Amino acid sequence: MRTISGYKATVGALTAIFWKGMKHYTRYPGSFVLILVMPFLFTLMIFGMGQFVGGSNASANFATRTGTTNILVYEILGSAVWMIGWVVVEDVGVALRDEQMKGTLEQNFLAPVNRFTLLIGLSLTDIAITSLVFVVVVGVTTIIMLPAAFLNLLQAFLILLVGLIPLFGIGFLFAGFVLKFKEPYIFTQILNLLFATLTGTYYPVTLLPYWVQFLSGALPQTYVIEDMRQIVLANQTLVSIYGSIFVLLVLALAYPTFGYAIFKYLEKKASVTGEFSKY
Amino acid sequence: MNSQNTSPLLRFVAEFRAAFMKDLRSYVRYPAWMVGEFISTPLWFFFFALGVTLFAPTSLSSSLPQEGGMSFFFFGFVFIILFGTGMWGIGQTVRNEQMAGTLEQFFLTPASRVTLIIGRWARMFLTDALIIGYTTLLLYLIGGGFVTLNDPALFVFSLGLYELGLIGFGFLFAGLTMRIRSYNTISNLVFFGYMVLTGALFPISVIPVPFRYLCMIIPFTYFNDLVRHAALATPTILSGALEYAIAALLSVCMLAIGFVGFKKIEDEARMRGTIATS
Repeated sequence: MRTISGYKATVGALTAIFWKGMKHYTRYPGSFVLILVMPFLFTLMIFGMGQFVGGSNASANFATRTGTTNILVYEILGSAVWMIGWVVVEDVGVALRDEQMKGTLEQNFLAPVNRFTLLIGLSLTDIAITSLVFVVVVGVTTIIMLPAAFLNLLQAFLILLVGLIPLFGIGFLFAGFVLKFKEPYIFTQILNLLFATLTGTYYPVTLLPYWVQFLSGALPQTYVIEDMRQIVLANQTLVSIYGSIFVLLVLALAYPTFGYAIFKYLEKKASVTGEFSKY
Repeated sequence: MNSQNTSPLLRFVAEFRAAFMKDLRSYVRYPAWMVGEFISTPLWFFFFALGVTLFAPTSLSSSLPQEGGMSFFFFGFVFIILFGTGMWGIGQTVRNEQMAGTLEQFFLTPASRVTLIIGRWARMFLTDALIIGYTTLLLYLIGGGFVTLNDPALFVFSLGLYELGLIGFGFLFAGLTMRIRSYNTISNLVFFGYMVLTGALFPISVIPVPFRYLCMIIPFTYFNDLVRHAALATPTILSGALEYAIAALLSVCMLAIGFVGFKKIEDEARMRGTIATS
């Protein structure tokens, strides 16, 4: 048998995990369509409810509180980041549980592949998927509703890419908890709802009580949403929002480190107690 | 118990009780789901309510005195919970049994399929009522006001029409699970369509005219409208009596179509041998 080692082996494993994830998405196109459609539907709902509440002054009231009259772009940016966070937590966090349910987790863990490589491979698929979500959801909406901001989309996309790193960290953390506690779906639902509420998906976080804003400050989506709104709607640049990007970079370092450490700890514990094969 | 020798009523009660208890046992076996449901359901409501405050003149609870203020959205939340029960509760009964590998046993019992599915619906209706009650209390405690019913008798009648229509709709969906693979995607899209197009969260008068006609051919638009009218005295889409007559007719038709559709799909699936394979 021919064996390869070093970076070639790592690249080979990453490529295999990446394509496995992509195949999964292409095999269930309905689920992917739902990911693309949901941000629009949620935005429509908020928009409709808002029009009802505010009547003819809805846009003016909205502008007073947010500084923009472009309601759809404002809301779709929040919606898209929320959905992207949802995809990452579900994919990276729940992937191992899926393997467990299919009975393939042991084979995966017995393969001569580093656990970190395994998790990074799952994340690579999500980079491709979330990029597509960005193009279809944010890109198309901005081109239609605010064509002047088209060139700002590249900067907004860079913010998203940086924001994905701490999100993967949260995914790693969640993957560890799933190995230990099982039943991940209800936890992902609560977690994603909490993320939506705390990170200002449809409103500025300043609307939340002060102590809640403190929690919001620890979540990467808060910065991604706010920065993307600043770039697309207020014509800010990456340079002018450097403070926020710095915080995002710190989170990009902290979350994966912390998430992977917890994952390793729980994985080690699970291997001792035999949790892998328990459902 | 030998159900062959009992009266139809006793048989129905026994089957219903067994189906209800079976589902209740499955439900309490997963406490994380229970706790999660009680946390996440009200959280959806508060999340959307916060989003809407951006559009409000001063505060959400003080706006829209004629439309019921916060109570308007509260009922939207109730509709969403109830519709979800029809969609995933009744509709997914067959799929759940399929996934658990017990569908054949389920279909081979000398019990009515309809009663078994209704038993599951009853369990979910009970849980829904608990969640709605708990959220009402939570809303009151955080200062959102207390939800009161303008005409309780009319409310029960309107809710009855809604539930009849919903059960019929759920049965049709339960049948579809035997035919289609991408049930989850379709049910999610239908669910979102319900939220946007039936006046559940905002009146259909907000929707631009060409799309509003689409809303007006969906039966749930009238069910939602009448429940809200009975609870909050909001104006109805059509004249009151006419809308009640239409809603009553629609609910009976939906129930009949649901039962007939489910039976027909089941018979076809039996002939094709696809009951447990979709």
